[in-house]
Amino acid sequence: MSHAHDTTAPLEHVPTGLDNKKLMMWLFLASDCMFFGTLITTHLVYRKIYENVGVDPIHIFDIELTTASSFILLMSSLFMALAVSAIHKGSIKSFRWNLVGVIIFGSLFLAGQVYEFNHFVTHAGLTISSGTFGSTFYVMTGTHGVHVALGLLWLVSWLCYSFSPRFNAHQHAIDIETAGLYWHFVDIVWIVIFTAVYLIEYV
Amino acid sequence: MSHSADPSMDREFLLAEQKKYFTFMNLAFLMTALTGIELVIIFLPFPGSILIFGSLVFLSLIKFIGVIFWFMHLIYDGKLLTLIFLFGMVLASGTSTALLFIFNSDRVDQTLPFYEEGIIAHEAGPGGH
Repeated sequence: MSHAHDTTAPLEHVPTGLDNKKLMMWLFLASDCMFFGTLITTHLVYRKIYENVGVDPIHIFDIELTTASSFILLMSSLFMALAVSAIHKGSIKSFRWNLVGVIIFGSLFLAGQVYEFNHFVTHAGLTISSGTFGSTFYVMTGTHGVHVALGLLWLVSWLCYSFSPRFNAHQHAIDIETAGLYWHFVDIVWIVIFTAVYLIEYV
Repeated sequence: MSHSADPSMDREFLLAEQKKYFTFMNLAFLMTALTGIELVIIFLPFPGSILIFGSLVFLSLIKFIGVIFWFMHLIYDGKLLTLIFLFGMVLASGTSTALLFIFNSDRVDQTLPFYEEGIIAHEAGPGGH
């Protein structure tokens, strides 16, 4: 077990007092907020303008499945927070197990999304080209799914690298924290999509 | 990156991390409960109620804040990071609010062809003539 260390303490050799990797990730996430904001708003605007979209979203949505997906992503966020905490403490074994938890829950979320898309296409005939609802819905949730998939790839690569002799908990803690920030971000985007796109249809 | 050589500081840090563990667990349980409440709320017999709508927004806001401040460590990190993220959030939510007001459904000509299918052409859309 290596030494525990604090990445939240201010740095003295940079003017901002913050690690540049962490700062850049937050800047990227701020810009990604605007990207997802645009996608979600486009869906809401078209949903508002074209109330009659040919299909009734309430009849095609499986809200219990979507709620379960939300729960799964929240749990993956918990595991990610614990993985970051473990790497700060220098406990590589605990870090690996928590990362495995994130990867399992993240994969389950993606599997749920694939099942949902397949259900929409085969049972409800809702495709990306079947109207504004289909277009905006698939682009928005698909973009989120791609973010989740990229996050999974990133975390799987860290899991594999953690077995390398070059892996050092102290040296790589900030990199893991940066990957964790990205993962939590896809979780908060889903919190918004779950309410603004799915739950709102039932009100 | 700070790295303490002082063992007592390491102990302090480890105690703080231990405290965070319980915070994360409690937060996860809270967010799970809130997600369950969200599911129950939509089946309450008050269709179109502003109360239901407001409750859903409020619950998701609590989850959102919980994740960004605790899971993403904003509460433990420098204020600059909070400002950076809030700047992006304000721009995104401001643009969203403006667009939702601009594209009010009352201003759409519902006699336009293909309106009912929702596949109306962009040039004849709400901003068109």
